[in-house]
Amino acid sequence: MISKKVVLIGKYGVGKTSLIQQFVHQRFSEKYLTTIGVKIDKKTVNIDGTELNMLIWDIAGESTNTKIPKSYHLGAHGAIYVFDLTRPSTYENIVSELNNLKKLISNVPIQLVGNKSDLLDEKNIHQIINSLPLEISFLTSAKTGKNVESMFSALGKALLK
Amino acid sequence: MRESDTFKKLTQLILEEEREAREKLENRVEVIDQNLNEREKLEPRIAPILSDQVVYLQKKFPELFGPAITASIKNQIKDSKDEVVEALYPIMGKMVKKYILKEIELLSERIDQKIEEAFSWDNWVNFVKAKVFGIKQGDMILKDAMEPVIQEVFIIEQHSGMLIGSYSRVTSVDQDMVAGMLTAIKSFAKDTFSIEDQELETIEYENYKIVIKNFPRFYIAVVISGIVSKVFLNRLDDLILDFVDKVINQRSPKAEADFIEEEFSENLNDYFIKLNQYDK
Ligand SMILES: Nc1nc2c(ncn2[C@@H]2O[C@H](COP(=O)(O)OP(=O)(O)OP(=O)(O)O)[C@@H](O)[C@H]2O)c(=O)[nH]1
Ligand SMILES: [Mg+2]
Repeated sequence: MISKKVVLIGKYGVGKTSLIQQFVHQRFSEKYLTTIGVKIDKKTVNIDGTELNMLIWDIAGESTNTKIPKSYHLGAHGAIYVFDLTRPSTYENIVSELNNLKKLISNVPIQLVGNKSDLLDEKNIHQIINSLPLEISFLTSAKTGKNVESMFSALGKALLK
Repeated sequence: MRESDTFKKLTQLILEEEREAREKLENRVEVIDQNLNEREKLEPRIAPILSDQVVYLQKKFPELFGPAITASIKNQIKDSKDEVVEALYPIMGKMVKKYILKEIELLSERIDQKIEEAFSWDNWVNFVKAKVFGIKQGDMILKDAMEPVIQEVFIIEQHSGMLIGSYSRVTSVDQDMVAGMLTAIKSFAKDTFSIEDQELETIEYENYKIVIKNFPRFYIAVVISGIVSKVFLNRLDDLILDFVDKVINQRSPKAEADFIEEEFSENLNDYFIKLNQYDK
């Protein structure tokens, strides 16, 4: 079976752990338990008849007083950069954040994901999307599960290319 | 004699001489031509010159070609550093180990000598056992029960933490995830203490000890239960170096680019089962 390493990156509290919980275990919790360091999960997905073993690294979001080893990212075959649609501070520096990421892992597919879409209405979401300098890959909700599966599948597909 | 006669005679003389000279020359050219074009005739003449050249080249070879060859080897090594290091790693490891072992042997011999003067050997053994284990010799059965057993062996790609191969006495844990977490712990230790060229070597918890051996592109983690003695670690070390040298470094060049999971798992079984008393 083909195995690939996927890293989830983004500021603290944007919903990285929640997205993985939803994708792997189909569950959601309102409780916020910040991730310490890194947690690894895995899920085998079937992409157009090919079994793909996704090793998902849930990397803790950095805050001002915690530093996360950059080496967690190394060797990743794909990445998901998550931001919180309700917190502008999580997507203000998106261009430079993504550039830094690309320095650590070059030439791998990266999904840009706006999470917590259940908390905003259509109009607000469109405003945010239009204000961003980059195109967003998916708008997700770890709470309702919207687009979670399709977002991971899309990355899986890109990983097999 | 008339003047014209004299002239005639003179030209005749000169021309005669010239013709003779030309004939001689022609003959000579003929011979040279034959020598050059017929191999059998050319060979004996050139052979000594060539062999002189060979001797000269042999003598001067390092001087003439040395720098160019050195440069090209240097370049090759520079371009494929990983491969070179990987090939040398186990060999160097063995050499260094052998040297150190020898030194320690010498040292312990000297110590033994001193001790023998003070105690009898048997007394000493009992004394140490009692000190270390706090038990009498008869109770050494307990120690036997704690004999080291290799529970699991993982070959893991550096940085990415992807599992390359594994051996498991009893499969219980998710090996992919263990490989990832071990790598994360290693990264954490390295980044946190940020000491260049220092790596996490063992992790201990309760009855288990995880021994980590680092190589440039991958590392090998061995999970051992029971009391792990220096002698056991030593044998394990040899086994790992041997395994890397004989199995991993001898892969077909086709497999060079990517490690394929489970490629080594069978070999791992053969290798590491040897160390397990209970699996014999
Ligand atoms: N309404 C809503 N809440 C969400 C969603 N995703 C996550 N949350 C909540 O947001 C909080 C943070 O979620 P986490 O998944 O722990 O965030 P994280 O990115 O893993 O955070 P760190 O581990 O600290 O980096 C939790 O209270 C979640 O319940 C979502 O899609 N909708
Ligand atoms: Mg988290």
